Amino acid sequence: MTVTSPKIVSLAEMAARVTDGASLALGGSFLHRGPFAFVRELIRQGRRNLEIVKQSPGYDLDILCRAGCVGKARAGIVAMEGNFGLAPWYRRAVEKGEIVLEEHACMTLTAGLRAAAFGIPFQPVGGVHGSDLAALNQWASVRDPYGSGRDVWVIPAIRPDIAVIHANEASPEGDTRIYGTFNWDRIMTRAARRVFVVAEKLEPLESFRERPELTLVPGFMVEAVAVVPRGAWPGSCWPLYEVDYPAVERYMDTAGSLAEHMAESPETAEAAHA
Amino acid sequence: MPEAWTGFSYIVTNLARFIRPGEVTFSGVNSTPPMLACLLAKRAYDFGFTWINVAGGVQPTPSRIPISSSDPVLSEGSAAIFANEDFYDLCTRGGMDLCFLGAAQVDGLGRTNVSVIGDWHRPKVRLPGGGGGAVMLPTARRAVTWRTEHSKRALVGKLDFVTAAGGMHGVVTPVAVFVKRDGRLALQSWHPEASLEEVRERTGFAFDADGAVPTAAPTARESAALRALDPQGRFESDAKVALR
Repeated sequence: MTVTSPKIVSLAEMAARVTDGASLALGGSFLHRGPFAFVRELIRQGRRNLEIVKQSPGYDLDILCRAGCVGKARAGIVAMEGNFGLAPWYRRAVEKGEIVLEEHACMTLTAGLRAAAFGIPFQPVGGVHGSDLAALNQWASVRDPYGSGRDVWVIPAIRPDIAVIHANEASPEGDTRIYGTFNWDRIMTRAARRVFVVAEKLEPLESFRERPELTLVPGFMVEAVAVVPRGAWPGSCWPLYEVDYPAVERYMDTAGSLAEHMAESPETAEAAHA
Repeated sequence: MPEAWTGFSYIVTNLARFIRPGEVTFSGVNSTPPMLACLLAKRAYDFGFTWINVAGGVQPTPSRIPISSSDPVLSEGSAAIFANEDFYDLCTRGGMDLCFLGAAQVDGLGRTNVSVIGDWHRPKVRLPGGGGGAVMLPTARRAVTWRTEHSKRALVGKLDFVTAAGGMHGVVTPVAVFVKRDGRLALQSWHPEASLEEVRERTGFAFDADGAVPTAAPTARESAALRALDPQGRFESDAKVALR
């Protein structure tokens, strides 16, 4: 489908809108439906000092650390997952003090995003009692002002500059659909100042109008759409493709280079044929 | 002759034995043994329970068993997508009966460290981090964890960092099953090829073992269910669980 819309941009144009030092919320979870082609494009463009916000990053944060693009990570749980274990280049970057880590529970990070989405300075969250994460992050607790006697932890707002999500389908106006679980993508798109969508394919606006309840993000909230088939590679995008485990194994092989891995990516092949 | 345990079948099956009729039971990310335990319980036990998982699945009927316990195939056959915010909110409002959570270190109170080995600010090993624990462990009705290694560096006297408090209801290792009693982990049973003395020797915290017995052998249905889930032994070889 050839469609023109001011919102449709190339992957390179989209990544070029990210400045050094920007705070990015990245959608998906571990090896599933992450905006991985976008992340690789940030690496190609040499972006530096990025802040990555994500409850369960893996490949995305790891490869950005490997390429030296990260200044700070605000994350709940970081791992390659599957049967791959820890994220090696992320781990090294934290252990050597090359990046700043703000360690969260997935839901405290979400509470911070909820505060931003709700337009308030902080957000209560359940649990956290007894965790050293509270003192580490200097989180405050408040006594229920309505008299139950319960203390509740409150998390300061987390407002990313841009939420970047990988979706199954977008309309030319930016309306966005995800099949299967949308993980944390909904709250990310509400918390961030701007929203970028990388989509497997475009669908006409009419198909969104027929089933508006399937739309996760309405187009008016979306600044830019890039169409990148297989853009979540080497991860999965339900129901289109599964994790490319051999490619992740090659990525993890320290004998291989980052350049070799990048050269395998579908967007590279696409560009070569363009 | 009863079926024998392997380290792997011991962990998966004993996790499954924590699942109770009619309850809401959750399996999460980085959690292959609990994913298999939920699938095993669906096949081996006659009672029903509501399995929800981190892929948004509610009573799913996945067409294949994924390597990743957060793979979206785990929502296949589900009649709803119950995504991340939903299952956390369910937990904090008291609606999660049993929650399986990962841990690198566990102490005698059933608290966990998944953050760091060494000092947080000068880490020897940076571990995955907070994840679900700090919010789910204190708010789930029961939480259960597992370790594929039973040692004093996994079951510790003192955690390097308290990522999550609230206390595990159960802990399963290749040689032991612990259950919380009076606020502390107590030994419920040990692997029949190990002994109470061995479990004590390999555990970094003191524990009560009153009433502890050798773990009952897997039933024919439990063994058959696990074989059906892992016919090629791929999960078993990935997990690399050794008795010692």
